[in-house]
Amino acid sequence: MPAPTSPYWNPKTETLPKDQLRALQLTKLQRLVERAWHTSPFHRRLYEKAGVRPEHIKTLDDIRRLPFMTREDWMDNQAGKPMFGDLITRPESDAIRYHLTSGTSGRQPLRVLDSRKDWSWIADMWCYGFWGFGIRPDDKVFFAFSYGSFIGFWGAHYCCEKMGCLTLASGNMTTEQRVKQIVEMGVTVVCATPTYALRMGQTAEKMGIDLKRDGKVRRVVVSGEPAGSIPAVKKMIEDMWGGKCGDTAGMTEIGTIMIFECDHQPGGPHIIEDHFIEEVLDPDSGTPMSYGERGERVVTSFGRGFIPLIRYRTKDLVCKVPHTHCDCGRTGDIYEGGILGRVDDMKLIRGTNVYPRAVEAVVREHAEVEEFQIVIQRVDNVQDEITVKVELKPDQQDCWPRLQAQLGKDLADAHEGLRFNVEQAKTGELPRFELKAKRLQDLRPKY
Amino acid sequence: MDRTTDLLGNPLTVDDIELLDLYRRLKALSGRADLPPVATANVKQAMVMLWNACNDLALLHEEPGCD
Repeated sequence: MPAPTSPYWNPKTETLPKDQLRALQLTKLQRLVERAWHTSPFHRRLYEKAGVRPEHIKTLDDIRRLPFMTREDWMDNQAGKPMFGDLITRPESDAIRYHLTSGTSGRQPLRVLDSRKDWSWIADMWCYGFWGFGIRPDDKVFFAFSYGSFIGFWGAHYCCEKMGCLTLASGNMTTEQRVKQIVEMGVTVVCATPTYALRMGQTAEKMGIDLKRDGKVRRVVVSGEPAGSIPAVKKMIEDMWGGKCGDTAGMTEIGTIMIFECDHQPGGPHIIEDHFIEEVLDPDSGTPMSYGERGERVVTSFGRGFIPLIRYRTKDLVCKVPHTHCDCGRTGDIYEGGILGRVDDMKLIRGTNVYPRAVEAVVREHAEVEEFQIVIQRVDNVQDEITVKVELKPDQQDCWPRLQAQLGKDLADAHEGLRFNVEQAKTGELPRFELKAKRLQDLRPKY
Repeated sequence: MDRTTDLLGNPLTVDDIELLDLYRRLKALSGRADLPPVATANVKQAMVMLWNACNDLALLHEEPGCD
């Protein structure tokens, strides 16, 4: 256990000077590629086709000689060689965990396996994040999570056990039961998706519970949705819970988180660079983007033995800035604003680009809103219309139509004057979410 | 125990040497087939935790999948 006064889980590597960090990454990359070449037929084929061999990786820049790995390749490989494809490096009997992707996008979920070491490493990456956000062994950590086949907060649960926290699972509970237990047990840390953290807060209000007054929560750790780094969403969560809200992001393909917000909260999460190489590339050309430019995350992970993940195209939209934007002492660079959305979730409405996360950022500036939904339709087979349906908090019904006009103006101002229709939904009409929220419905015909 | 430096080329500290030594002893023990299940399983768990510490501290970078 790091000394309780240490702000870092791993002081040695979290504060490594950049040149040493790069040297460590190169050593790990060389060994990873060597291992993938010898143990994963999937990677061997990929590299042979590209004419690249492990000994070609002499500098970090040589990573660009390696071909990309895509989700589509992975899915095809699984489909062609059920159940796991020949991507995996070890026999199935060496695994102790089996998980699936959440399938948010409606595609075939990916199946993943982990060994004992993989699972321990997965928990450890969460430890970097939890410790860095100020969570300590004397905390009581509550997981508002279903504990199903989706990996979600599983690793975080094991991280908290590893750190020595009192760890509370709530897989079988209703939202009301969760709120009650959080208060009764004096929980100090709550983990949930941003959407569900808000929902629990709203439920507490309906139950007559003031979480700030009646609860002891000092940290809310969110994950799973880009909204976790939207300042207005974080402020709503902090106002409800009375504790600091910090974002993390990971993916089932990695098995854990690769970025986390430190206690200093410089406006985005740090990358765990001693365990990952995070490239930011132009999604079309594949060329590297500079600091401060938006691009697609491409990740290489050093930790998971079962599944080598090398230059995996995530389709996450990010903007990397130097670690010096934060004064916490970590040398891992920062994704300003967290995960900004998906490269492929941009919607084109009458010539204007619309990202769901950007709409949410505007909607959440209005505290009267309890829930919302974005609906895109094609009218008369010609014109695309975008509508934001808004459900108001029960005690805020009087703000309509003032809010309708203001929201319409704010959304237009944020989208080059694009007209948004803003409609009021009845109380309880819009869907609520526990895991990843799906607030966008694109009803336009698919050709 | 033959290494004298970590992956960055820094000399191993006394603590580093102890961690690596513990890991190697546990690894050897967890590979034995003559121990009762209660010993094998728990030693493996302990070995994995030590691997995790040594790996994160850049003392070694072994294939993570090999239990």
